[in-house]
Amino acid sequence: MAETPTTQQMLDQEMIARIGRRDQSAFSAVYDRLSGPLYSLAMKMLGDPAEAQDALQDVFLQIWSRAATYDPEQSSVFSWAVLLTRSRVIDRLRARGRRSRVVVASTEETPPAEADASTVESAADTVEKNDAAARVRDVLKNLPSEQRDAIELAFFEDLSHHEIAARLEQPLGTVKARIRRGLLKLRERLNNL
Amino acid sequence: MISEQQQDQAALYALGLLDADEDAAFQSELRANAELRDLVRELREGAADLALTAPSVLPPASLKERIMGEIATKRVVPMPAGRASLGWIPWAIAAALAVFCGLLALDRARLERQLAETRAADPLMQTSFYTLAPAAPAPAEAKATVAWQPGRQSGVIRISNLPAPEPGKDYQLWAVDAEHKDPISAGVVRVDKNGVAQIRFKPVEKAEHVKAFAISLEREGGVPKKEGPILLVGTT
Repeated sequence: MAETPTTQQMLDQEMIARIGRRDQSAFSAVYDRLSGPLYSLAMKMLGDPAEAQDALQDVFLQIWSRAATYDPEQSSVFSWAVLLTRSRVIDRLRARGRRSRVVVASTEETPPAEADASTVESAADTVEKNDAAARVRDVLKNLPSEQRDAIELAFFEDLSHHEIAARLEQPLGTVKARIRRGLLKLRERLNNL
Repeated sequence: MISEQQQDQAALYALGLLDADEDAAFQSELRANAELRDLVRELREGAADLALTAPSVLPPASLKERIMGEIATKRVVPMPAGRASLGWIPWAIAAALAVFCGLLALDRARLERQLAETRAADPLMQTSFYTLAPAAPAPAEAKATVAWQPGRQSGVIRISNLPAPEPGKDYQLWAVDAEHKDPISAGVVRVDKNGVAQIRFKPVEKAEHVKAFAISLEREGGVPKKEGPILLVGTT
């Protein structure tokens, strides 16, 4: 059974519906809400501000042009935007022919900032997601390390499941199960908070 | 019942890790299995949450300007044509106003009842009501009621008897805030063929001291700063 949308998700859906009707003020509001986390994701995967900005521009132009086709049954607006971003970033990684450039560190090992102080602060602040980010980090930290490693590799790097299995030196079936169990636990624990 | 193998495939599908053949096969399974679709959605949400663990970095302000400029140049979808004729005979206006007042009271009572239920569930929630009355050149029977929650910076507007605007135009909602020189846009509002709309909105800037809400007639797609005539306006 699908989860009941939260108030924030309903607001997001309304904004996307308005963007579908070419409402620029709604687009501006969605940009303000999502650009921080999406840019942070692009930066983590690409490691290059200029490319991350180009990727973010591609993503928001897609949001503008595809808003009318957004299906709330398939994902929340946030997830839709995150997965669009990941997809555009992977296109860029493939285009420049450098795969697996980003070292996926565990959350507590992540350096706090990679850009200058004027641009680094809490991107999550802009979308009131500080608490959510802390919750995700906490839940992720408490997953079994083999599951955490598998889902981080699967999400942040442009690797096939075969490549992930090779990287982790584990059978393919084991890796698939770790990814599945890790994602399910992550979602279940976040839902229960 | 979903097998473990299906769950594994669902996790890989949610992350975009299936190859083309596997992806096509899984999509046909998805079409036939609602439970599997729900699982994929859950897995997608879990995967997307991982993005929040990336170190927080804000994009430069110039990027937003660049993107806003880009969308402004893209072709806009034309609005459906058709504007209802306006009633202008004085006695008809008077009668319409009488009906309008009655309907407005009913409307307001209905919205107040709905909000009272929500308020009972959340005692911290504060809601203000704004009744918007027509100003020339709006039809006399047009009306709107706004339920505004300043704590959440969001609200709901219900509009009725407001005919669709002419092609190339849109109605836009504005919050008139004591702390802001200009009205704050709360987005474009579109009425259906009966002249009715019920829309949740959120102003583009923080509005903590809203004195009034207004609806104006603007260029299609809306404008960042009010340009057109006010059609409906009202305070608490």
